[in-house]
Amino acid sequence: MSDSPVVRARNLGKTFGKGSDRVEALRGIDLDIESGEFVSLIGPSGCGKSTLLRLIGDLVPASSGELTVNGKSPQQARLDRDYGIVFQKATLLDWRTVTKNVELPLEIMDEEARSERAASMLDLVQLSDFAKHYPWQLSGGMQQRVAIARALAFEPSLLLMDEPFGALDEMTRELMQQEVLRLWQQTHTTVVFVTHSIPEAVFLSTRVIVMSARPGRITDRIETQLPYPRTVDTRESAAYYDKITEVRESLRRGDRQ
Amino acid sequence: MLSFIVVTFVLIAIWEGYKLIWLQMGWIRPVRPDNTTMPHVWDMIIELFRPVRRGGDLLILDLAARSFFTLREAFLGFVIGGIFGFALSVLFVRSTLLERSFMPYVVASQTIPIIAIAPMVVVWGGRLDFPQWLSVAVISAYLTFFPVAINTLRGLKSPDPTALELMRSYAAKPREVLWKLQVPSALPYIFTALKVSATASVIGALIGELPAGFGDGLGRALLTFSQQFGARSVKLYATVIVTALVGVIFVTVVTLVERKTLAAGSRDFEVELMTGRATG
Ligand SMILES: Nc1ncnc2c1ncn2[C@@H]1O[C@H](COP(=O)(O)OP(=O)(O)OP(=O)(O)O)[C@@H](O)[C@H]1O
Ligand SMILES: [Mg+2]
Repeated sequence: MSDSPVVRARNLGKTFGKGSDRVEALRGIDLDIESGEFVSLIGPSGCGKSTLLRLIGDLVPASSGELTVNGKSPQQARLDRDYGIVFQKATLLDWRTVTKNVELPLEIMDEEARSERAASMLDLVQLSDFAKHYPWQLSGGMQQRVAIARALAFEPSLLLMDEPFGALDEMTRELMQQEVLRLWQQTHTTVVFVTHSIPEAVFLSTRVIVMSARPGRITDRIETQLPYPRTVDTRESAAYYDKITEVRESLRRGDRQ
Repeated sequence: MLSFIVVTFVLIAIWEGYKLIWLQMGWIRPVRPDNTTMPHVWDMIIELFRPVRRGGDLLILDLAARSFFTLREAFLGFVIGGIFGFALSVLFVRSTLLERSFMPYVVASQTIPIIAIAPMVVVWGGRLDFPQWLSVAVISAYLTFFPVAINTLRGLKSPDPTALELMRSYAAKPREVLWKLQVPSALPYIFTALKVSATASVIGALIGELPAGFGDGLGRALLTFSQQFGARSVKLYATVIVTALVGVIFVTVVTLVERKTLAAGSRDFEVELMTGRATG
């Protein structure tokens, strides 16, 4: 696309509250995410992973520093519908069918050919047979796939994911990871992925950003350097285990600092 | 429906059983079992098929006409109150400042008894050249807007915060957030309120008819027959039953609409439809 990075943060900081309620969630964040990258944010609970993601998505305003998304202010990027977001909870609308849920952003954005777009998205996440079902008729993993289809329906250049598989069992989780990698490669989307799981971060990402708490900051950046496509073989390779160890040790070091 | 019929018969049995036992035992407390204080159920029903006064209509026909008259006022009050309550809740959900400033007044409005409000509305309505039926409807609306406002506000606030963030991520306009997320989420709350409002609107209309001096509604019939209680109490009882029936019918209609509306899939609002824009 353009030469500017998709996400560019300089000395970015976020403080919630005032006085004794003051929480410095993020301090001095410098981060560049290039187009096409798959970047994971990992770190202990409360280190500001979600906050960083929400700053990028203009869901909360920054307190200090600079942040651009696609070379624009986060607000402009949001208004331009530059990103899709997936939360830990699928947050589907109960009264809408699967198809209608995927069409929701398209309706709001006044897009054409909504049902065709929704159908092809459902095809992409392999849920075509459930198009007419309601959310409560789906398993947790299927609901999350609908949420991903919904986030990608308007073809955003950036996909933000906040522990999207946190509530899923291990088996489903691995399947979903495979699925997300496939979507990432098919759609050439840039992904920022928040997770608690070291193996998940290593398996998915081109780069793992290690964070640490109080105040939330970046303590390490680790290129995973494992070849794509990543498969079950990847999960059993020595290089994969080495990376997991590297990230784990980095997390421990960051914690001690 | 079957359970309703069963309960009806059980209630009748208790009523008649009380009369029977208390009469046998000569008890007069808490209520005297005589035919004026506690007429037989069948006498109430028979009374419905007697003329109201010599040469007049059958009581049931007279009450049917009155029911229709009262129901019309009540329905109008229900609609006015419903729209006002809904509008109020939308304002409140949009602005916490408005909610905090005006909610105490909304609550206070319901602590003033309707019998104090009713004559005022009639007098002011007269000054403003309102037709009398409109004054009655406004009195009824005074009772109905409150449950709608309170419950709808709760319903509009019910969506998960992440759902609101999702809408924000789509750069949805407030109008779209309202009609695509908040109102559909609020519908179950709104219908609960409408059922309360349906009964309240009938009470409002009955009471409103009195200061308005309407002779054609159930309100006047209740008043007149209660004044004649000693002579012909069955008339009052028959009228009370019909009045209750009017409320039940109204609530039943609301329940049917609720079932239809909340049925899977039909809860959505096309913003285009609501604002008259052409659909894409
Ligand atoms: N809206 C808010 N108001 C006040 N404080 C907040 C708010 N959101 C987050 N915080 C605080 O900011 C810090 C970082 O929170 P954040 O949710 O970003 O952490 P996280 O890394 O995502 O944690 P987890 O892994 O548990 O999800 C925490 O101390 C939290 O209490
Ligand atoms: Mg979080």
